[in-house]
Amino acid sequence: MKERDESLADRDAAAAQLAALQADREALADRVLQPWWYDVLLGLLLFGFLASYAFDSLWVTFSALVLFGAGLGALVGVYRRLTGVWVSAGGRVMWVWSGLVVLVLVPALVLSQGFDQHWTTAVAGAVLGVAVALLSRRWGRAYVAELREGL
Amino acid sequence: MTAVAPRFDAVIHPPPRLQVCGLLAAVDTMDFAAVRDTVGVSDSVLSKHVKQLEEAGYVRVHKATRASRLRTSLALTNEGRAAFDAHVADLRRITGG
Repeated sequence: MKERDESLADRDAAAAQLAALQADREALADRVLQPWWYDVLLGLLLFGFLASYAFDSLWVTFSALVLFGAGLGALVGVYRRLTGVWVSAGGRVMWVWSGLVVLVLVPALVLSQGFDQHWTTAVAGAVLGVAVALLSRRWGRAYVAELREGL
Repeated sequence: MTAVAPRFDAVIHPPPRLQVCGLLAAVDTMDFAAVRDTVGVSDSVLSKHVKQLEEAGYVRVHKATRASRLRTSLALTNEGRAAFDAHVADLRRITGG
């Protein structure tokens, strides 16, 4: 009888601990989704950097690269300050993103550098800027849903 | 997905430490202050538990100065992640879930 009571108590305690863990994940889910302007700024930063190639000037591209790096650093810093966490996208999202970059950027760079069609990098920047903003949003929502789904 | 073998872990078991591991398992890194606020303990209590997790090799503590303020962030090590997953699997085994 005593063993049975202890076993029930163990089961209740374990269930309570699992419930507490899930409650924490839900509390985390409430705070981790990035604000909409984070995705917009991310897209604009990437567009600005890639579009700088259209000027065909090393100085413009170098300045844009510095701004791009500083902007990314500031975005990450703001996100971490707002949420207190950092989570990097991995797996499928990164494969999709890498594939898209190759598909869009390689032809644009070939046209830009090989055939003096420098405007193509601005178009590639616009396409990839929109894509990164949408992917970032989608990934953020998927992460929140995963946290809510349970352990 | 490979099933995780249930294994009770005495280091992770106490509620504050289980909570800390649960939060860190869901992120790459989390600020000490955010963990403290979510777990609902004081700085000193959290420090004590983090120290025990760090000594077990389950948690990595990183200190950095950002905007002239010292910020401490916490992350689970691979070993900590494996131990947490096994401990949760053990809780599920007990509940029959």
